[in-house]
Formats: sequence, structure tokens, C-alpha cells
Amino acid sequence: MKITPSRRRFLAGSAAIAAASAFPMPAVRAASGTVSVWKFGGTPTEVEMWPERNAAFAAGHPDIGLDYSYFYGQIRRQKILAGFQTRRLADVVIAFGQDIPEFAGFGMIQPLDPIAGDRMAGWKERIVPEVLQSGMHQGQLYGLPTYVDMASFLAIDMDALNEAGFDRPPATWSELREYARAMTKPDRPGIAMPATTAPVDINIFEGIAYANGGRVFDEANNTVTLNGPGMVDALQLYADLIADGSTPAGSAMTETNFRDTATLFSQGRVAMWVGLSWLNTPWGTPDDLNWQGTPFPRPDTVTGAFAPVNAIMDPTAILMVSARSENPEAAIEYLDFWSQDEQLALWGGEPEFARVPAGKVAWEQPTLAEKWPGWVEAYQAGTLFKGAEPMPRFIGVSVVETALGNAIQQVVLGQQSPQEALDAATEGAQQQIDILRG
Amino acid sequence: MNPRADRWLAYSMILPVVFAVLAFIVGPTYDVFTLSFTRFVMGQELGFGTLVNFRALFSDPLFMQVLVNTAIWILGGTFFCVLLGLAIGAYLAVDSPITTALRALILLPWILPDVVTAMAWKWMLHGQVGILGQSLSQIGLTDRPISFLGDPDLVMWTLVAVVIWRKMPLVALILCAAIRSVPQDQHEAGKIDGANVLQRFRFIVMPHIAFSLTAVTVISMIWITAEFTLPWVMTGGGPANASQIMATYIYQQSFQFFNWGVGAAMSVVNLVMLMAIVGLYLYIMRRSWASGAAP
Repeated sequence: MKITPSRRRFLAGSAAIAAASAFPMPAVRAASGTVSVWKFGGTPTEVEMWPERNAAFAAGHPDIGLDYSYFYGQIRRQKILAGFQTRRLADVVIAFGQDIPEFAGFGMIQPLDPIAGDRMAGWKERIVPEVLQSGMHQGQLYGLPTYVDMASFLAIDMDALNEAGFDRPPATWSELREYARAMTKPDRPGIAMPATTAPVDINIFEGIAYANGGRVFDEANNTVTLNGPGMVDALQLYADLIADGSTPAGSAMTETNFRDTATLFSQGRVAMWVGLSWLNTPWGTPDDLNWQGTPFPRPDTVTGAFAPVNAIMDPTAILMVSARSENPEAAIEYLDFWSQDEQLALWGGEPEFARVPAGKVAWEQPTLAEKWPGWVEAYQAGTLFKGAEPMPRFIGVSVVETALGNAIQQVVLGQQSPQEALDAATEGAQQQIDILRG
Repeated sequence: MNPRADRWLAYSMILPVVFAVLAFIVGPTYDVFTLSFTRFVMGQELGFGTLVNFRALFSDPLFMQVLVNTAIWILGGTFFCVLLGLAIGAYLAVDSPITTALRALILLPWILPDVVTAMAWKWMLHGQVGILGQSLSQIGLTDRPISFLGDPDLVMWTLVAVVIWRKMPLVALILCAAIRSVPQDQHEAGKIDGANVLQRFRFIVMPHIAFSLTAVTVISMIWITAEFTLPWVMTGGGPANASQIMATYIYQQSFQFFNWGVGAAMSVVNLVMLMAIVGLYLYIMRRSWASGAAP
């Protein structure tokens, strides 16, 4: 059939196209197009398995083009901010729960409730409620967590412990000092605490201080509370351990981050080290090293003004959707994929055993029970997350944590007493917070 | 030839560069200036025309330490970079098979990316797991491993040493080329007049390379001021802010704290300081600069 274009037909056709453009049809709900994903940080196993599962996502969603990038965890804030300001932020950002208030407050990410639709019911069904809660901010869900990290924990060389005449891990701060002194040898300190300015090293200290009723910030009063007794006494514990000669030299600790500290432990060059719940990560610990991970000892008497916590936790691979995403349907499809049991089970001991899983299915895996029997037992008894609170999260958290990190270093180096260092840190951080929050 | 057409041709030839300068230098500089006079709260602009960022900056107890560290970083780094570059450049100017090979090898530090360099040095200098501290301890030079990056008294000068290692080779090569361009007959005249090696270097070579020396000093100063990756990756400004310099503190304020106004104010202060230092240096060296520039 031959079609002969006429002026009238052309004008009518053009007008119809223009009208269709001006009054678009209701949005098509089926996800298609491209979804870009930025993931920050992760254990070596996780960094490997994430792209593998992405391939499964791509295979199951042929209409969605996946553009996945991985970045070093500690640059996430800078990268995300730069992406946001240049309007090139990925549709899905996999970052830390501590970031949520700032990212939400600055309009970088959007709440999931309005765009997730009926997917939300499945998430609530498959994810441990306390862990899903870690994605909430001001009553709305901003991120889908895949696991949490908890603070703080102690790794102990059990042979060194037995050699020093003990038969169980230390339970209190005073016991810890006694154990650390007894386990110290001329060429092997009893304990090492990472004390660089890396956020993880600061989180480790926060876990200890929060258990003593300390807090870094009082959101209700917009006040930095670094110099409260709960924080000061926790830092005094660091100072005491150093003064006892139970640690490496202060100048060595300020350049030794959590990863280096783990290396020292795995080489038998330190008898105990403090970390997060990922103590189990294969840091190169030899199989014949007889070691045990345990919650960090509790204060003999809680001295802080706030309620002591059993642990603090943060989802450090939480999937968030950019506020400027042009394809939220595909972004939600990606989130939903990672909320499926098949993916959540990856943290069930095989292949990954270094994280506290978000998926209920992971807790049912025999491999997890084999690796972390105590944890699975506590989860089943409903006590694992009891008394746990989120890691500090508020607008300005980085300001306050950086000030805390500097105060820790000043004390570790013997430049100032804990009270002096934290007083100065409080004053400096408050000044910065006042500018930032108005 | 039509002079007017020539002029238009010349203008059209430099037009792309003018646009590039406007887009990538003047534009961002203008943005930084306006940001520095803008108040931000919770990431939102609350109005232009305020000094609140500068007031916050000058009342920051850390800022004075940052200025002192920055002075050590820029002035110490530039001085030793040029001094060592001059010494090595003078050695490389001598013709021999060894110096011929060294002229190529000396550029090795330039080949490595900044982050790789910083990570490698960080590892080597680590007191407990690094090779340098352990080696010093094992050969009995120190009682225990030295924490070059963990000791507040050592960290700034350690960073200066690394930045010199990184920047010096090109300085040495530029000065080597300048020294080699000194006419041979002037050397011979000096010898006939009885001048020794040092005297010939001081009174023949130095005046001849003054222009290159001035240029390379200014360039080194700008390079070192702009260097961010080495100090940030190696220390992050620590320990206890002992290595916090302008570049790292601007980054921290802007991209970690999201205090964009204060970060911009600090950038303005940094720019003014650098212009003042370079201006002063050029003023002091104006004679050698002018004589060297003259045909």
C-alpha cells in the first residue's frame, strides 16, 4: 500500500504527537531502562559476590540495563556529594546507615515508602525487624539494609590468655586491664586499640563509650556531648591501658587502623584487639591460631548520663534511592532483588560470615550456626539486638566523630587528659555544628 | 600582509585558550568567592553577602595550627625540593655514562600515580608493619620501630620528605638542562681567571640559570600547595591534626562536614596567601627574572 503524505495529514499527525507529549499517559509501572548503582566498601568476599549476583539480576531483568560501580568505602560521602552536585548521582547508592540523616536532609535520597508500593510488605516479611528499623529516619524507610555491623568486640588469643592464667574472657573493664597487663610480654603487647582517624576506629570507641552511657550528640538539645562522663571514662580506659604498658606505643596506635591491628593479631604480635562484629573476617588469621571473639567487656559501673547500650549497630551496605533518580521503578526493582531470600542468604555463613545478617533466612542457615553459634542462639532467643541502638546518625555526625577521633589521638599520644581533650573537642565540634545546622 | 587580518587571526587562535581559562579557572574562582560570602545551613543557601564563614574560620582554634603546618609544607617542601633539585641537577649536568642513565631513571617517581605512591609510602613508613621502621630497628639504629606517620613531631617533615621525593626529579631535570646551557667558553674564561668550581658555580652558572631557578621555584610552590593526595592518603591530617594542612582541611570542611561556605572561605585565604608568597618571591627575584627573560 502506498501512503501519500499530505499537508493536512502531516499537520494532524504532528499535532497528535505534540498533544501526546504535552499530556503524557500515566507512568508505566513496569521497570525498564537503565539503573546505575554505586556500592561503597565491603569485605573481600562481599566485593566479589555482589557483582556475581548482579549478573543474576541482569539475567532476570533483561529490560533493565545495570550500570554497577564499586568504590572504596571511606570516600563515599565525598563521591556521593560530588555526584549529587553535578547531577550525576547513581540511581541506587549502597552506603552506610550513618549517612541517612544528612543525605535525606540535603535532599540527596528519597524515602522508599512512596515508591516501593506493595514491595514493602515483602521486605518486612523477609528482613529482621530490628535491622530493617536501621533504615528508618523520621518515620520513613530510606534504605534497605542487607546486614549490620555491631560494636564493640574483642578478639582474644586464647593460648595467650591461658598462658597468663585465665580460663575465660574478661567481663569488665577492670578485668580487661588486669588481663591486658598479665598477657603483655616484652615483644607482644596485651591489647591494641586502633586509633587512626578512620571512621571505623572511631565507631569502635563509640561502642565502648555508649555501653558506659556516653553519647556524642544530644539531638533534642542540638548539643555536642563528647565531654560527658560516659565518654570521658571510656577514653580514660584507653589512657589506663596505655599507662599500664599493655598496648603498643601511642604513636604506633595512631597510625594503626583496624585492618593493621588485625594483621598484628594474626601475626601473634598482640594478644587482644578491639574491633566491630566483623572480627570473623578472614584478616589473614592462620588456622592454627586459637582465638575467640567476644563482646567487649562492660564497665564496672556505668558513669554516663544516658542509658547504657548493649551494642551499637549500623547497616554498612544499605541500598538507598537517589532523590534525582529518573528511573525509580528500576531502582526499586534492584532493591527488591536484594531483599529476596536468595540474596539475603549469602550472609548466612557461606560465602560471607563476617556480618550480622539482615535476612531471616540467613539466620536459619546451618553454616551461620557453625560459625557463630552464640549469635544464632541469641538471635533465636530474641536477645541479639536487645539493648542495641543505632550508631550515631544526625546532620553533622562527621564533624563530631572527627573531633572525637582527634581527641582519642591526643589522649593516646599523651598530649592531653581525656577530660581536656574531650572538652576541647566538644567546643570545636559545637562551633562547627552551629554553622552547619544553623 | 594585512596587519589587521593578522591581528584577528592571532585573536582567533588564542580564543579557545581564553575560553578554557574563563571556564576552568576564572569561573570556578568566581564561584569559590561567592560561596565564601554565602551562608549555608543544612546544605541550603541562606543568603549572599555575609562574613560568617570568615568569622568562623578565624575563630576556629585549629586554623592557626593548619596555617603553621601549611607553612612547613609549602615553604619547607619548596626550599628543599629546589635545593636538592639544584644539587642533583648540577650532578646530572656532568657528562658521564652514569648521569646519562640517571637522567632517565630519576623520573621514576613521576610515573607512579599519586594514590599508589601515597599507599606505598604509608606502608613502608608504618612503625609496626612497615619495612623501613623494622629495618632500622633490626640493624640496631633504633631501640624500637619509629612511627614516622604516627608521631606528631615527625609526621609533617616526613610528608615533606615524601613530597620532595615526588616533585624533585623534574626540578632537577629542568635545572640540569639550564646548567648544561651555560656556554662552555664562560666556564673556560672562569678557569683562566683562576676561579674554582664553587666560584664558577656561584658567579657563572647561578646568574645564567636564575630565570629557570625562579620559574621552577614558583612552579614547585604551586605544585606543593595543590598537592592533596599524598598528605590525605598517608595521614588524613593526623595524628591529632599534626599534619592538617590547608588542602586537607578545605577538603574535610567541604566534603566530609558539608560546611561548603567555610571550605570556600579557606580556599580564598589559601589563594590570597599563595599569591602573596609568589608575588613577594617574584619581587625579590625581579632582577634575575628580568635579566633572564631578556633576549
